[in-house]
Amino acid sequence: MNAIHSCFKAQIGEVVLPGDVFQFDVSSVEEDSNIKSEKIVCGPGLRRNGDEILVYKSGILRHKQPSMYWIDSQQKRYVPVKGESVIGIVTAKSGDIFKVDVGGSEQASLSYLAFEGATKRNRPNVQVGDLVYAQFIIANKDMEPELVCIDSCGRANGMGVFGAGGFLFKVSLGLVRRLLAPQSEMVKDLEKIFPFEMVVGLNGRVWVKAKSVQQTLIIANLLESCENMTAQQRRALFKRVAEGAL
Amino acid sequence: MELDINSPVLREFGSEQSLLSKPDGSATFMQGDTSVMVGVYGPAEVKVNKEIYDRATLEVLIQPKSGMPSVRERTREQCVRETCEAALLSTLHPRSSLTLVLQVVHDDGSLLACCLNAACMVLMDAGLPMSRLFCGVTCAIDAEGQIITDPTAQQEKESRALLTFAIDSKEHNVMMSSTKGSFSMKEMQQCIAVSQKASERIFQFYRDSVKRRYSKIL
Amino acid sequence: MRETPLSNCERDFLLKGIQEKKRLDGRQTYDYRNIKISFGTDYGCCTVTLGKTRVLAQVSCELVPPKDSRPTEGIMFFNLELSPMASPGFQSNRQSELLVTLNRQLERCLRNSRCIDTESLCVISGEKVWQIRVDVHVLNHDGNLMDAASVAAISALCHFKRPEVAIQGRDVTVFSPEERDPVPLSVYHMPICVSFAFFQQGSYLLVDPCEKEELVMDGLLVLAMNKHREICSIQSSGGIMLLKDQVLRCSKIASVKVSEITELITKALENDRRARKEGGKFGFAESIAKERITVLTREEAPLDTTDIQATADGIISKADAPPEVVPSPVIVATGTGQVGEGLENTWGLEEDDEEEEMADVTERKTKEDEVMVLSDSEEEEVVILNQDGRSKRSQR
Repeated sequence: MNAIHSCFKAQIGEVVLPGDVFQFDVSSVEEDSNIKSEKIVCGPGLRRNGDEILVYKSGILRHKQPSMYWIDSQQKRYVPVKGESVIGIVTAKSGDIFKVDVGGSEQASLSYLAFEGATKRNRPNVQVGDLVYAQFIIANKDMEPELVCIDSCGRANGMGVFGAGGFLFKVSLGLVRRLLAPQSEMVKDLEKIFPFEMVVGLNGRVWVKAKSVQQTLIIANLLESCENMTAQQRRALFKRVAEGAL
Repeated sequence: MELDINSPVLREFGSEQSLLSKPDGSATFMQGDTSVMVGVYGPAEVKVNKEIYDRATLEVLIQPKSGMPSVRERTREQCVRETCEAALLSTLHPRSSLTLVLQVVHDDGSLLACCLNAACMVLMDAGLPMSRLFCGVTCAIDAEGQIITDPTAQQEKESRALLTFAIDSKEHNVMMSSTKGSFSMKEMQQCIAVSQKASERIFQFYRDSVKRRYSKIL
Repeated sequence: MRETPLSNCERDFLLKGIQEKKRLDGRQTYDYRNIKISFGTDYGCCTVTLGKTRVLAQVSCELVPPKDSRPTEGIMFFNLELSPMASPGFQSNRQSELLVTLNRQLERCLRNSRCIDTESLCVISGEKVWQIRVDVHVLNHDGNLMDAASVAAISALCHFKRPEVAIQGRDVTVFSPEERDPVPLSVYHMPICVSFAFFQQGSYLLVDPCEKEELVMDGLLVLAMNKHREICSIQSSGGIMLLKDQVLRCSKIASVKVSEITELITKALENDRRARKEGGKFGFAESIAKERITVLTREEAPLDTTDIQATADGIISKADAPPEVVPSPVIVATGTGQVGEGLENTWGLEEDDEEEEMADVTERKTKEDEVMVLSDSEEEEVVILNQDGRSKRSQR
């Protein structure tokens, strides 16, 4: 097993490019796996190709214990993935389903029954142009993606139609993932400036609502400018804003 | 006939990525005064008549600086499209469209090579799945049989033959070639060898620019 | 491709912001976004960025016969292209309503205002005049394409130089830039468009709307003006009722903006001229901000070519020698001629087929029972293949 880990080890946290390969000896791996059946999880950007692992995206190689590897990249276009939560815009109502734009290559469908407490009689109040926070239950390259606004127990669990107010804007997918990382320093730093509500979809859409239009705009502009900043630069900027560049 | 390769050079080159707000990926690539800007959209919605059930539909458009696109642009589009198709893992996004739009900003020789380099940069910027990278190198053979790499428009005009190769990053194989004029087998092999040497520098440049780009979030 | 739809949430927020005099990027009502003008290495090539909106203009010229109605005037031709790069909603080769509006507005602003001296473009009256073609490419759409396009077009026209010509009788000689210095166009004045977006039936007004603001506006007023405060064209669209006072107020704002932009263009032209004169570097490559982390450049450097000769020779020596050309057709039998028969197969394919064919020919000549032999061998081959396949499968 160590054979695989060791081929990655030197590159963790480094920049890799499409076409880079990590080679390991299949025979030795198979023998090892008889003793301890461990698996390597190839996340986004990595693919197994025979006895090598191919990088197909440019970005930074990341590793999570015990055996997860993926490429962290900054891109704009979203590709639906099962289980991910996104912010969608309802574009049409047709029969029993809503069509929702999530920024992918296809519109996702959302059944009107997939809301908390919805029944055939009691339809949810969703209009064209409304925002929904929903989760993919079907998302693969060969099928139309499908969203739901309930979890497996039938509870909303934070999902559903957005209330009035707030502002929606788009940032890169890399920034979204950094915002959603547990204990994200960026969010903590932002919260120090003033209180606000925020919903982050993995499709790069961010919805923010603060006390006033002015404050909402400040948050939105700060987040957009965080794209290419080191932690220090970010803190310096936030400090300046908090001190009253308002 | 002995060929004289008199220290071929690559002109000063550079690029900028993610410079346009609208496209999913954008880049400019400059070699000397030659400059190409490119934007890519995808994987996005595809028209029904262009849909392919098991892979993405790749469209390449090259816009000339003045006038309408002509046959010359069409042949270049085809060269770029076929190279991109060979590098992209388009089966990962079936029934979707990838649209690559290249705008010629200035043509001072080696335009096709510059288009290829810009195309590779933009595919990386958009994060589209690729099995390998590629780059373009143009070689001109002048009247005395000297090989000039990355020729200017003037050098192209004076040359006897003009060869453009797309080189892949894995084995440094030739992925695409487009030639004009007459040359011997030996001259072609030498041009390929020179292009492969030049490609190493361009691939290193790709790596350096991606490194620089991610330097703040390592 | 479809554009991302505008959600109700964004619409409400934008309108609320406009009421409170707050814009998305922190601008004031009458503020323009940053304008950057840079010129290319060619004469008459110019990119303008207005915030995130980006356009490229290129002026070119050719000698053409004049129009019958105006035999002593050169021809101005404007072509604005909405490149599919600029927005997913734009398609190439499609005459959208927006494209027609923008083209028409550009023509009215620059041709109908007679800002270029077309009479000086006449070479031989009634026979040859210069046609000046202005191509404007929209590369990124973030609103207010009209203003950006008009600034790019007029800057490119001011920057452009046409080749010098000499007329001897009826012969026209066009000199290359090396032979004689090209001549600039004579530009009388510089009309510049200024766009005003109106909201809530004209109760709110914004200068230089960005794309999101354009999506929620009720009406648009485009004023073309030069720095002498002469209005060159005025167009209101969207069907809102404007009061006389509003239009007058807009023209006042426009005059301020136009003089600022004109100064900017003059300065950019002056910088470019100085760079060219001093032999320094100019062109787009110089205008790129090298400190951005998305930018990287490499200096010109020679390639290491130590073993190239050897590699090339190696490849050629390893490759099979090209086949010798058969000098004359081979006569297989009397009355038949064949060219290319008996050559070495250079395709590297299986040669069995060819040999079979050869055998076929010879066998026919010897009049043996060739049909049986051939069919036998084919069947045998098929069986062997199948067996192979099965055995391999069973192994797995």
